[in-house]
Amino acid sequence: MTTSSTALAIDFQNVVKRFGERTVLKGINLEVKRGEILFILGTSGTGKSVLLKTLVGLLRADEGNILIEGKDVAHLSEEDYLPIRRHCGMVFQHPALFDSMTVGQNIAFGLMKHERKTYEQALPRVRECLELVGLSGVEDRNANEISYGMQKRVSLARTLAVGPRILLFDEPTTGLDPITTRQINNLIRDLSRRLQTTALVVSHDMECALEIADRIIVLSEGQIVEQGDVEHILKSKVPLVVDFLAEAKASRGDA
Amino acid sequence: MNLLKAIGECVLFIREGTSVLMRHGVHRHEVFNQIWRVTSQSLPTTAVAGFFVGAVMTVQFTLQVKAYGALGYLGGLSTSGTVRQVGPLLIAFMLSGKVGAFTAAELGTMRVTEQIDAIRCLGANPFQEIIIPRVLAIIASSFALLSAGLLMSIFGGLLLAKVFAGINADEYLRHIPTLISWPSIALGLFKCLVFAVVLATICTFKGYNASGGARGVGRAVVETAVSTMVALVVADWGTSLLADALLVLLSSMIGRTA
Repeated sequence: MTTSSTALAIDFQNVVKRFGERTVLKGINLEVKRGEILFILGTSGTGKSVLLKTLVGLLRADEGNILIEGKDVAHLSEEDYLPIRRHCGMVFQHPALFDSMTVGQNIAFGLMKHERKTYEQALPRVRECLELVGLSGVEDRNANEISYGMQKRVSLARTLAVGPRILLFDEPTTGLDPITTRQINNLIRDLSRRLQTTALVVSHDMECALEIADRIIVLSEGQIVEQGDVEHILKSKVPLVVDFLAEAKASRGDA
Repeated sequence: MNLLKAIGECVLFIREGTSVLMRHGVHRHEVFNQIWRVTSQSLPTTAVAGFFVGAVMTVQFTLQVKAYGALGYLGGLSTSGTVRQVGPLLIAFMLSGKVGAFTAAELGTMRVTEQIDAIRCLGANPFQEIIIPRVLAIIASSFALLSAGLLMSIFGGLLLAKVFAGINADEYLRHIPTLISWPSIALGLFKCLVFAVVLATICTFKGYNASGGARGVGRAVVETAVSTMVALVVADWGTSLLADALLVLLSSMIGRTA
């Protein structure tokens, strides 16, 4: 069933991505509605991150179309892609903070670039974004002086600062302790709801997906093997999904 | 085949950088920051090396000019050699060891920790933000360091001339203006420019295209060091050849006019 294009934030149409002889994405078709929180699950090396990177133009699809809010971006030049990325913010697996800058300068980077603001002019927005991620008062600290969990949150604040309508998270909780993992997951849910952004989250964490996703897709070897809402996923008989569910159940039991 | 591929990629890298520079200009503030960083990082080493180059040149020339009773030309000869050949090459080697390796490691780390992707995702162009300022800074700093190195080499030569040949400062400096012609200065500056462009291109290209975590960054630094050394020697040969050809052409033109 096809949703009206105006209601769609993202539309992958038969997207193929190859690295040399290896085909990583094998004809992905996927529609994401505005305001939806979509989790993309799958084992390592199945093309989850590649899917996000083709969306934001860091990698280019070899075949197919990618529509962001109705506009085909798959064939845009790097130059034309730059304004698209402003509305399509990505939070990386690594915090990817500019380590020669302070926390505040990191968050102000996009604002200074796009809105031609000075750092002083961008500071109120910097503080607002830090408050959104629960880190008030750290704007003057060096980016490499704060803990890894804080860096992840600053990375999210930096992405939020330019006001994206779509948020992409590439394994946002990898390498974090369970408490920080929960905080980050809650942030993703709360911010997406409060700011009414569409969110795509690449993750291994089925438990978290079941808790906050509107819809879940499961990738295996470059293809979508299952998709649906939480209820549908819980009833799935696809072996990979069953394994993920068993793992989530076991970790809940451990807890 | 791999070499051809690397050269092709490097040409595309240069084209992209030039195109971004032409269309969007450069962040002057960042260029000045980088110039300050490169110059302050390399100035002490260049000064020490310059001093000893001057000293070595003077010691070498002392043995030769003494046999002809032309010790008065010692300062002019050794400084001329430094301006035309040793100075620019020395500065390039100094910079490749300090700034080239540093830049490749810095950009490589930015690449593997996704900082470069983050710049792109924030709607900015990495060439404008980090590559072009570093390239321009390396070129500008080369000239500043060449000047500092030359001054120190004259000082080093002067000191050694006094100690080894008993020549005083006036005598040492007297023939410098007569033996250093404008073509020599132009050649020195041209070599300095070519070497700086070669170094800046290689280190930014290798760092920007690093991949594969810490090992990839290490590989980028090693490749920068090796490629730069080879490219500088080749560029030295090329510029010397070009200069000789130009001199022959100029001489023949002057001869014809006369």
